Amino acid sequence: MSDAPTLVDTTRSEFLKFRTVRASFIGVATFVFLTIGLAVLITLVIKANWSHRSITEKLAFDPVATSLVGVFFAQFAVGVMGARFITSEYASGAIRTTLAAVPRRVHLVLSKLIVLLVTFFVLSEIVVFAAFAIGQMIYRSGHLPTSSLSDSTVLRAVIMSGIYLTLLTLIGFGLGLILRTTSVTISVYVTLLLIVPIIVNFLPSNWQDHISQYLPSNLGASMLSPNLTARSLAWGSATLLLTLYTVILITGGTVLLTRRDA
Amino acid sequence: MLKIDHLTKRYGETLAVNDLDFEVKPGVVTGFLGPNGSGKSTTMRVIIGLDRPTSGRATINGKTYDHFKAPLREVGALLDAKALDPSRSARNHLRALALANRIPMKRVDEVLEFVGVASVANKKVGGFSLGMSQRLGIAGALLGDPGILLFDEPVNGLDPEGIRWIRDFFRSLAKEGRTVFVSSHLMSEMAVSADQIIVIGRGKFITSGTVDDLTANATGTVFVRSADAPRLAQILSDAHGVVEPVNDNGLSVSGLTSDQVGDAAFAAGIPVHELTPQRASLEDVFMSLTADSLEYGHKSVDVAP
Repeated sequence: MSDAPTLVDTTRSEFLKFRTVRASFIGVATFVFLTIGLAVLITLVIKANWSHRSITEKLAFDPVATSLVGVFFAQFAVGVMGARFITSEYASGAIRTTLAAVPRRVHLVLSKLIVLLVTFFVLSEIVVFAAFAIGQMIYRSGHLPTSSLSDSTVLRAVIMSGIYLTLLTLIGFGLGLILRTTSVTISVYVTLLLIVPIIVNFLPSNWQDHISQYLPSNLGASMLSPNLTARSLAWGSATLLLTLYTVILITGGTVLLTRRDA
Repeated sequence: MLKIDHLTKRYGETLAVNDLDFEVKPGVVTGFLGPNGSGKSTTMRVIIGLDRPTSGRATINGKTYDHFKAPLREVGALLDAKALDPSRSARNHLRALALANRIPMKRVDEVLEFVGVASVANKKVGGFSLGMSQRLGIAGALLGDPGILLFDEPVNGLDPEGIRWIRDFFRSLAKEGRTVFVSSHLMSEMAVSADQIIVIGRGKFITSGTVDDLTANATGTVFVRSADAPRLAQILSDAHGVVEPVNDNGLSVSGLTSDQVGDAAFAAGIPVHELTPQRASLEDVFMSLTADSLEYGHKSVDVAP
């Protein structure tokens, strides 16, 4: 038998594991359907109602954001897939077989990370560009204002929404590493994205202003909005901060994995 | 060579393994025997790096498991046959393991064929019976053609044919010069399948040796039947025997040989209808060795000395 396996081999192994379970395909299909399907649905509804809109409403119309609205639903699909990539192994006990084959646990995390990063970056970008293109096509057919990728802020917004989804996949994975149980991980993930913003809304407004811009969901809004609102971070800082959250979660999860009994 | 070096593992308050220290040699089947909860599985989990020892260590050819880049080529282990993703096929499960350890893909089909699950290789393992899962687990253990093999309670879930197959299989692995380390809580299973036996109880080493070694040190009992059992019992007690009445005028005598029992009866003029020396079974030895270390079960286990 040949020489010692490298990170490439363990990554190939993890990629094989990812694509040989049906749950991955169901997850990816859900993700694609939510993002593109919602873009089609929302843009068609807007097109149908266009003539009823007031002038101010028409002026406020954002053809980019409306075509990418599916991203805010898709973020749950990708987070769950990221989490399940590790928690399903704990649920079945397969983690023990995995660790017996790859006892270098940092390698294992890196391999899984590479698989998720590459797969979901490519998938997310394809999906958001498709959603954007289909949305603009529908608007064009109804003679609504449209946006073009030749506008660099628009191009950036579309690319960033794909990166946002990739980072959220990895945040789900990081939480899964730490929490190990699928149900708990998904609860925490949903709480972070949905419940925490609601709670922050009940805080005094000067607190709100400080906290809310740092929440993952608002970082996402900053990342994929071509037009900045007053109380939000610039897209670059938002991307960096969300990446930092991701790195912290995965590093923490890796440290725990190397210390805990499997 | 597998070496357990003053290994201690504590889970919170529970001391699962307590200063275990032994070696498992190649070329023979070594049985790892102990009641349920005695620390067998914990020891195996530490060997393959799943659990971190509290102190001491387990080494394979001088190195701990996490030092191997391709551990499946050094150690093959079947600890829990159901520890795999139920929605993946048997072949893909093995292919993932092979990839991670740079084992040629053709080896996957070889081991599937060898353990007899090739016909269901593309079926999801979630639908496998325990016996089939055990066979798949054995295929996984053999994948890297390792020199050391660990099996935790491998006969569980196997049918009689499977049990016979696995015994022969262990022997052939050992004959090839491999180290074969098999745990069981069943003495009878170990008696037929293992050459060397290591007995533990409550995480502590109790004894080791061949099956013959273990039974040789234990004295057997003598069964004697007489029409005048009460008087014979009295006489044998006076001769420092320990006498237990057994149904229908029978007595079970320990501490005396059958010759001594016969002579004593003759001297007292008591007719004897049956006189049989009873060799201590491995089961008896095991029970007496581990009687103090049973985690569960009733304390007054009545066993031969």
